[in-house]
Amino acid sequence: MRYSKDLLAKSPESVLVGLSRAGNRSAFAELVTRRQTWIRNLMRRCCGDSTLADDLSQQVFMQAWRSIRQLHDAERLGPWLKRLAINMWLQYKRRNDPLRAADEHTDTNTSHQDQTSVGMDLDRALATLADEARLCIVLSYHERMTHAEIESLTGLPLGTIKSHIRRGTKKLQEELSAYAETAEEMK
Amino acid sequence: MNTGHDPKLMALFEEAEAEFGDTAFAEDIMRVIDGQRRKTMLVWSAAMLVGIACLSLVASPVVTALGMATELLPTSLVSIESDWLQKLLAPINSIAAALALGILAIRKFIRRIFD
Repeated sequence: MRYSKDLLAKSPESVLVGLSRAGNRSAFAELVTRRQTWIRNLMRRCCGDSTLADDLSQQVFMQAWRSIRQLHDAERLGPWLKRLAINMWLQYKRRNDPLRAADEHTDTNTSHQDQTSVGMDLDRALATLADEARLCIVLSYHERMTHAEIESLTGLPLGTIKSHIRRGTKKLQEELSAYAETAEEMK
Repeated sequence: MNTGHDPKLMALFEEAEAEFGDTAFAEDIMRVIDGQRRKTMLVWSAAMLVGIACLSLVASPVVTALGMATELLPTSLVSIESDWLQKLLAPINSIAAALALGILAIRKFIRRIFD
């Protein structure tokens, strides 16, 4: 059955999930439109490369389309998508070992289409962190997840997560000290 | 509860958020999904065609084999002169019964080894 774009745009997310589960493509496209900002930003913070982030985001949504029937509670769409996104990122990291990735992405660190200057600086600062620490920081600051939630999502030990966030915060504060100074001056 | 969150960093993360309101990204995804669906349907159609071709090739030998099996399986292992007794014992006194017992024994043996 076909629904007009306007009707879908006004529909609550739970209805769109239900329709998508029944195979309605337009409903799923509307879900993608609504959730893309969040997922694309999350992936950008994770990988620091907007082209790669968009590729991975695309794969996340394609995976979501393939497995949306497994999502029984429409209210859980957000956490479910977040899990898909983080798993996609972890899989990507596993496939691309650090040496090869460094080789391939020498230039991609400068790929910052549609990025604000704050976004670019933040990604540059995040790039100074190790992968695990970066993920913990992104989940903590970008997603505002608790340590326990990060533990359940990533499988990392709680102590490691706390230490990554503490050290990562310190490192980011150093890297982004210029912003703190500007904020002080503005006051 | 999280501790040690720097509010300035938190604000920077918020400020760094880019807004994507366009439909091009969703359209791209749906295009790729459609392409994949078409490819999958093509592969399934090709597999079905090959399957039908294979079936038509092996149909005759399979029918012959099934006919032979139908004749062979009820054959008694031990001949019993009494007609009613032979019919009564047919479920255990036949090649089919021996085969079934053999399969059950092999299954039990495999389970004992691997469980």
